This record gives sequence, structure tokens and C-alpha cells, in this order.
Amino acid sequence: MTELLVKNACVFDPLNGISMDVMDISIRDGRVVESVSATAEVIDAHGCLTLPGGIDSHSHVCGTKVNFGRYMSPEDMRAGRTARRGKMHVTSGYYVPTTFGNSYRYSTMGYTTVLEGAMAPLEARHTHEEFTATPHQDMMANTLFDGNWAIMEAVQKRDVKRAAAIVAWTLSAVKGYSIKLTNPGGTEAWGWGEDLTSIHEPVPNFNVTPAEIITTMIAANEFLHLPHSVHLHCNNLGKPGNYQTTLETFDLVPDRNNGRQTLYATHVQFHAYGGTTWRNISSKSEEIAHSVNAKPQIVMDMGQIMFGRTMTMTADGPMEFNLYCLHHNKWSNHDVELETGSGIIPVLYSKKSLVNCVMWAIGLELALLTKNPYQCLLATDNPNGAPFVKYPEIIGLLMSKRYRDEEFATLHNDTGQRTIISSIEREMDWNEIAIMTRAGQAKALGITPQGKGHLGVGAEADIAIYPIRCRNVDPSTEYRKVIEGFQKTMYTVKRGRIIARDGEVIVEGANSTFWVNPSVPEEISVATDPEFVRKFEEYYTVRMGNYPVQDVYLPRGKCIRTEVLP
Amino acid sequence: MNAILNTGRTISQGMAVEHKASPGYRAAVSVCYINPVDMMDLGIEQGARVTLTSRAGRIVLTTRATEMVNQGEVFVPLGPYANHLISAQTHATGMPDFKGEPVDIIPTDETVKDINDVMEEIGGVRYDH
Amino acid sequence: MIIKDAVCPFCGCLCDDLDVEIDGQRIIRVQNGCTLAESTFTGSTRLQAPIRRTASGWEMISYDDAITDAADILLSSDRPLLYGWSSTHGETQSFGVHIAELIGGVIDNTSTVCHGPSILAIQEVGHPGCTLGQVKNRADVIIYWGCNPTEAHPRHMSRYTTFATGFFVPEAQRGRTVIVVDTRRTESAEIADEFIRIKRGGDYQVLSALRAIVRGKGNVIPNEVAGVSREQLIRIAEICKNAKFGAIFFGLGLTMSAGKYKNVRNAIELTDELNRHTKFTISPLRGHANVYGSNEVFTWITGYPYAVDFARGIAFYNPGETTAVDILRRGECDAALIVASDPGAHLPHSAAAHLAKIPTILIDPHQTATTPLCRLQIPCTIAGIDAEGTAYRMDGVPIRYKKIVESSYPDDADLLRRIHDRILEVKGA
Repeated sequence: MTELLVKNACVFDPLNGISMDVMDISIRDGRVVESVSATAEVIDAHGCLTLPGGIDSHSHVCGTKVNFGRYMSPEDMRAGRTARRGKMHVTSGYYVPTTFGNSYRYSTMGYTTVLEGAMAPLEARHTHEEFTATPHQDMMANTLFDGNWAIMEAVQKRDVKRAAAIVAWTLSAVKGYSIKLTNPGGTEAWGWGEDLTSIHEPVPNFNVTPAEIITTMIAANEFLHLPHSVHLHCNNLGKPGNYQTTLETFDLVPDRNNGRQTLYATHVQFHAYGGTTWRNISSKSEEIAHSVNAKPQIVMDMGQIMFGRTMTMTADGPMEFNLYCLHHNKWSNHDVELETGSGIIPVLYSKKSLVNCVMWAIGLELALLTKNPYQCLLATDNPNGAPFVKYPEIIGLLMSKRYRDEEFATLHNDTGQRTIISSIEREMDWNEIAIMTRAGQAKALGITPQGKGHLGVGAEADIAIYPIRCRNVDPSTEYRKVIEGFQKTMYTVKRGRIIARDGEVIVEGANSTFWVNPSVPEEISVATDPEFVRKFEEYYTVRMGNYPVQDVYLPRGKCIRTEVLP
Repeated sequence: MNAILNTGRTISQGMAVEHKASPGYRAAVSVCYINPVDMMDLGIEQGARVTLTSRAGRIVLTTRATEMVNQGEVFVPLGPYANHLISAQTHATGMPDFKGEPVDIIPTDETVKDINDVMEEIGGVRYDH
Repeated sequence: MIIKDAVCPFCGCLCDDLDVEIDGQRIIRVQNGCTLAESTFTGSTRLQAPIRRTASGWEMISYDDAITDAADILLSSDRPLLYGWSSTHGETQSFGVHIAELIGGVIDNTSTVCHGPSILAIQEVGHPGCTLGQVKNRADVIIYWGCNPTEAHPRHMSRYTTFATGFFVPEAQRGRTVIVVDTRRTESAEIADEFIRIKRGGDYQVLSALRAIVRGKGNVIPNEVAGVSREQLIRIAEICKNAKFGAIFFGLGLTMSAGKYKNVRNAIELTDELNRHTKFTISPLRGHANVYGSNEVFTWITGYPYAVDFARGIAFYNPGETTAVDILRRGECDAALIVASDPGAHLPHSAAAHLAKIPTILIDPHQTATTPLCRLQIPCTIAGIDAEGTAYRMDGVPIRYKKIVESSYPDDADLLRRIHDRILEVKGA
């Protein structure tokens, strides 16, 4: 039995309605309890800001395309390297750190749970191997279905139960957590070098539209009672004028779940562009926020870009190729048979580029214009918008109008004509930041029942203590303190163990991977459906028996079982 | 005769690659494939032996005629015989010149060494069991 | 008893549809595999026990002694080289990297003499690729450049390309145009619809010529480029531009010839160019079954796919300096750990000779050409036969090796774990 007592913590625990209460937190055997004995180890938070461990609801850190990004970028590996020190292995990489690099840097920032943004089922084994090598965060995988042949066939037949059965089989086979759709239908078109330009354009050879894929998958998701909603990277990412696609997509979404959103729209900044070309691109954040404010069934994340170099990597193959045509940087592509695609290319977001300045403004506008902080979460689509180590700066920008104005003054002169950021007065407070960086994620991902995202009795003791005396710091003016404070915790506690102190990770990790095993009625199960099996064996290049990820890959896997409606 | 050396994989080399102590392996990799016209110019018949000499070393191989090799070139399957001829210079790429090494070919009566002899020539000690 | 869907641990095709028949703990037959698979599974000459070389010859020793010796050798060396890794599974590769980090050594894998140059090219211009099923299901044009799949990847054409039926290519070979590019008319060339014979060393020029034609600058091409006629070049470029889906596979003909990684870079850039017209992908034909696995494991731990030097306490990568052949040629390492590969057979002998001068530990199930060069050999399981573990196919798809039979040999992952732990124990003290 191990006990820990955190004294004098200035706690924000939005899910339990706690806001700036100085209190003690008692922990026994990895969980928050009412009280502990006198023999408990004691740490003193000295009245500093104490939050549940950070949760990243969309980050590309593990898997095939991430590793591609690493080995094609030795110059980035060199830029971010650190030496072996104490318990810490060497790390490399600044935009695409190695797995230990990711893990230590997240720990330093107080993050204890991460949803990997995209995992192709065929290559899931790779993602799980990297999960184990990201030892200080509990991991989950968004599982890609956007170009899935069996799914598109079910969508074409308007067979929601069939789609659900395929999702159920696939998620349990590859130990995924949730349904991810990236440019639905577009990734299949990219198999031929094409893309789709509207959610009503049919996918070549499959005769289904993105709108149909999205609505069918939402229905399937809810039928299966999955903990997370469908997680969507909308069509037409990055194209001027694409806000129309985004609004049309949002209009498709019913309100099907009382406990959480029915659609999680990710990195919406990239999907909020007005104008018709790069020359007249403008922010449509108001229209997007207006739509989301009226739709409690939608939660989005910012997809904030920050200036500097970074690496883009997504399953959106055609989008990455377009970036290649634009910038002529080194470009990688990796289409996955029967499932999805991916592309990788480095980019530079520059203050000299009006387009980039507009992008920067849009992310912030979305957050500030969304009334309910549970509906717009903090993320950069790491590393696409910026590496996650920049989250503290984003927090600073959200909490301080002054900081925003100072940054705005350094941007391209015409930025103000295309955006409204300079007119927004709102400043987030500590509670709203706590929602946007952990409570909101826990709720959206459906992991509060697992004890994540809050500090009530029974919660997993994932705790971040930041060196910020929040009662004495005015974030509006002292944003530098806010930023520095969020960059390095005094303590990061994971399941009741102190894993990081002042930027140093001090123990070996033992993370868990959360995955979902949805059950469906026997009569619709695809595992024994001869047609499903026949097509699998004929068109894939691996045998169906070799496809599922064996238990050995999840040494501390946590399986969540779900049942369909009776 | 001067020629350019090409090395690479063959099925028979691959089949024997995990049995390097076997006669099958030696038979597969101590071979020099030469174009029939070059064989004629050298005045040798199929199966005759030749020494190949490069800047890195010298080795005796058994010849095999094949149209699949161009005139002026020879092919030796990858393995310890071929590697006796390949220099360890990599031009800062890490990769030696496995293809394209110039060699001199002379017919010979010397026998083809067995693998252990080849390895002992570079400082090894055979394990005979 | 027949074990179905076994995974072959020989070449980068990583075929996972083999039926292996066993009788007790003996493998008696393999169905569906090629001849290379047959010899891999049914061959039986393995080293019985660890052996150590002394002044008077070889002696058999216990595993415990062998592990202690191995750890001692590594602990007392200043600049150890850890090389090989391609024929074993992921867990072993991981331990290798962790040991190298612990002792500040250099770790390199067999990419260094195979597709290392391809990796260098990818690091310059990226890699527009795909999984093999994309090719199988869509490709109507397939180009094999500088490689000979009938010899080195015998089932590549039947499982993934020429002879395979695909969802969009139901007539298989009749629906595909196969082009082979080589300096000599190989058996692969005999199967091709079109054979391009290039003068040795001319790949780079021919690739440049094709790029020029694809860009509409065909008028600058002379009548002949490296032995290839202008007319054939124009015809090939047309075939490529008119393809619905083109797939280029390339091999050591590009990586080992003069120009090395520049040849591969040019081929990748040709693929990029073709993507402006139609869908085109390019992929290396990886030789060993799990060499790509060693690249993947090295990368997610260290950031670099091969040639990683920990001497400075950080991960440092500089091919040409930290690559195995160069380190051996310079006589720079004072101890070596060779796992799952045979440098005695596959490295130039002026480099391999250095292994005989220093204490070299070999962890390998068979007697190989490296055996005479080493000081200590520790036999272990063979991944895919008596050990299971992860392997990465040539296109990055990870498949788990099955354990077909039991044996009394220790898994090389366990051997390395024990060596790692012993080193940690001594260093910690």
C-alpha cells in the first residue's frame, strides 16, 4: 500500500465544481481517497496551481507516419536532442520527438494522458509498440476508418448495423479506442491521386459521399455506445473558403448522446477559412463559433498554429501533396490498403506570411468566441500546428489580451483586415483553462468513468502541480509567469507516483493503454461472415488471422467493454 | 582481362545462407558468372577456375558461363568470396562499392579455398564441428 | 500438425501465408512458401552450445558464463560496435539500442550495406510510398529498377504485383504492364513487358532523362542516354504518365552503384514529378525480413534509423563516420557485439578482418562466416521458428512472427536482457 498526501494545493477541478480551493489531496494505491494515514509521503504544493493531469485529445506521437517523420528528419532529431541523465534515456527531435522525448516533455508539462490522433488498423501493432515506449502517459488510439472499404460498402447499403459491426470487430482486433475519420472518402480518392471537394461528392468507385460516411458512422458510434464520439478531420482542410464545408458538416450532426458531444471536430482552425484563394483568405471563426455555440452536440479543438518550423503529418494524403506542390519541401506519403492514407511534410509558419498570420488568429478566435470552454479545447494537432511544448504560450495568449496585442503588433500589417482577434476582449480564467486542457478532454473522450480528468474521490491520482501562486498572479498582465509556470511542473504525479519534479523525470514509467471492445449481437458480427472474411483475405496482403494485435502488445491494457442498445 | 565486378543475391546463395559451413553454400557463392564471349577470350571452358584481383584483394573462383552477364562484366554472388574483393572505402556514404569494382581476371590452376580458409586469411580461427 | 499462416523470417516480403507442417518439435514441410522459405524452415544445422575461443582452440561453455563474458567484454571496452539486428525480432532490437546507450557504443544495422543509401535519399527528399496492398489492388504499371525479384524476393510478383489479382486489377498480369530496368538481362527481365538495359553507372542519367521528358522537356534528350535509346525513354515516360497507378520498386542496383543515394534520390524525384500527372509510388525492396524493423525501433528510441553513436551521451548520427564499415575500416572499435547477421560474409573483408583483432561476441543460431572471427558465440532461437516477436515488412506493415516449435535455446531478447541487466548492475555499483 502506498500513500501520498499533497498538502496546500490550490485546486481547480471543474468536473467537481472546485475552483481555486486550497486543499489537501489524499492518495492511496494510485487513487484519490478521503484521507491517508500518518505514514503517507507528503509533498507540499505551497498554495500553487494544482490541476488534474493534462489530457491531450489529439496528438500525433506514436505510429507509422510519426516514425516516418522522425527518420526522414535527422536535422530535427539533432535540434531537439538531450543526453541520457539519471532515469532518462537520450531523446532526439524538436517537432517530432522520439517516444521517450515525447513522454518526458509531456510529463514536464504535467500531461498524463494522450489520445494518439490517428492509427491505421493495419499498422496498429506499430502504434502499440510506441505506446509502450511512451511510458509516462496513458495512451489511446483514434482508429482510422475514413477510407475503409468494408465501411464504405456498408454506408452504400445504408446499413448502420453493418458499419457498427465492422467498427466493433476492428476496434477490438487492433485495440483501438475510437472512430477517427480524416477527410472521409478523400483518402480513398487519394489512392488514385484524387481528392474530394465537397461532402456531397461521391468517392470514385464506391458511390458514397463524405456526408453519408459521417452520418452513418455517427449512427454506428452511438449504436455501439462508444465512450468517445466520432472524431472528425473535416474534408477540404486548408483550402480557402472551406468554412462552408465545415458548416455543412456541422449541420449534419444530430444530438444523440446525453453524456457528451455527438461529434468531436478536430483542429478546426484549419477548417475555418473564408475567401476563395490564398490572396483573399480570411477568418470565418465567427461563423464557426456561432454554429458550435448553438450545437451542444459538437465539441471542437483549436488546431492552433504557432510561428516557427514544424512537421505536418496527417492521414490526409492529398492535403500533404498540395503542401508539397506549394513549398517543394521533402514530402513523404504512405497510403494504407483498404483503409486510409497519410502524408508528411515540414512547414514553416512565418509572421511575414499573411496567410499564416490569419491562421494564427483563427485558432485563438475560435477558443475565445466559443461560449462554453467544454466545446473548444486547447490543441495544436501536434505537431501540425505547433509542437505541444508550445501549449503554455497558447495558454498565455488565451488568458491575456495584452499578450495577444503585443504579438499581434508583430504580425503582417494586413492581418487585422482579415481577422477579428484584435477586437476580442475576452480573457480565459484559470477554471476555463483547466477545462480546455483536461476536464473538457476527459468529458469529450469519455474517460471520466476511468477516473481521468478530475480529482474527486475514486479518481486516478494523475496530478499536475504548477509553480504558479494563482491567488497572487494576474494572468492578464503577468502572462510570462503563466507561460513559464505551465512549462514545468513542480510535481507531476501519475497514479499516485511522483514521476517528474522540476523538469526531471525520476522513475521508469508503467503506462496503460485504454482500448474498447464493443460487443454486437452474434447475428451481425462480421468475424464469421463469409463475405467479410473472403474479401479480407482476397484484398489485404496480410492474413486475417495475423491482423489482430495480440495481448502481449498491451502489457497493462485497460479494456472498456460496451454493449449496444437492447 | 579487365572487367567490372557486380555482386548480388541469387536463389542458391539465399537457400544456403543459413548453412554457411555447407558445401552447398560454398558452391553457390564461390562462383564467377562470365559472358561466354569473355570466356572464349580468356581461353577457358565452363567450370574452369580464375583468380580475380581487385585493389582490395585476390580470390580464386569457379567460372560459370551465362548470357545474362554483359561482356566486360562479371557477377559474383554476395558472400565472403565476393567480399574478399570489395574495398571498405565508402566515400562517406557508409556503403562500399559492391557494384562496379574493377577486377583483373586470370585463369588459374589454384583451388578454390573453403570458407574457413578464406576467413582464416583475414585472421579468423576455424570452428570445425 | 499444420500451423497455418506462419510468417516467413527470410526476406522483406514477410509472407504470412505459409503452412508449416511439424512433427513434434521438428519442421518437416512448408507449403505456399518459396525455396528460400523452404530452406529457412527446414534447415537444421544450429550451433549446440555457446563456444569460446581460447589460445588452444574452441571450448563449449555455459550460457551463464557466456553472458558474463559478453557483459565483461562490453563493460571494459571504450568504443564498442553493436551490429546486425535484421534477422531477429523487435524486442531484441530494443535491448540492443538500450545496451548501446548504456555503454556509450555505436549501434548499426544491416541497412548500412543495403538500403542505407535509400534512407539517405529519403532524408533529403522524402518517400512517396504505400503499403503493398495498394499496389496489388490498383497498380497497372509496375517498374522494377535495379533489382531482381525472381532471385531475391521470389514471391513478390505473385503476392503483390505482376501475378497478383487485385480489386481493381482482376485480370492480374493481363491488366498490368511490367517494366524492368537493369544492366543485365535477368530472369526478372524475362517476365517483363518492357526491358530497359542501362549501361553500368547510367541509372542517374536515365532517371534525369525521364524526369525531363515527364516535365515536357524531351527535346533536350540526346539519341541515347547510357545505352538507352531516346525512343524507348519517351515510350516509357508515356506509359508512366498514362498509368492509373504506377509503382516503382528498386534495389541494390541503385544503392550500390556509383552515386549511391543520389541514384535513389533521383528516382524519388521522378516519382514526385509523376504524381503531378497521375498516382505514382516508390518503394525499396528491403532484403532481410526485419531490417526495416531495426530502422523503426532505432528511430523511435534514438531518432535515427541506423549508424547511431552514443559516445557523446546523446544520440549522434553521421553516416560515413558512424557507419559500421567505416568504423571497422578505421579500426576504431575495440569490441563488437554482432547479433542476427553475418558481417564475415557480407562486409568487405578489409573491414570484417578487424573483428578478428578485437573481442567480438556473436549471437547467432548458426555457424556462419563470422564464427571464425569471433571470440565468443552464443546460439539462440530463430525469430519466426522457435521465437515469436514483431517484424516489419518492407512496406512498414508490422506482423508478429509465430513460434512454430519449442526449443531449448534461449530467446536472443532474453540473452540481451541479461547482458543489459548485468551491465547495469556493474555500472550502478
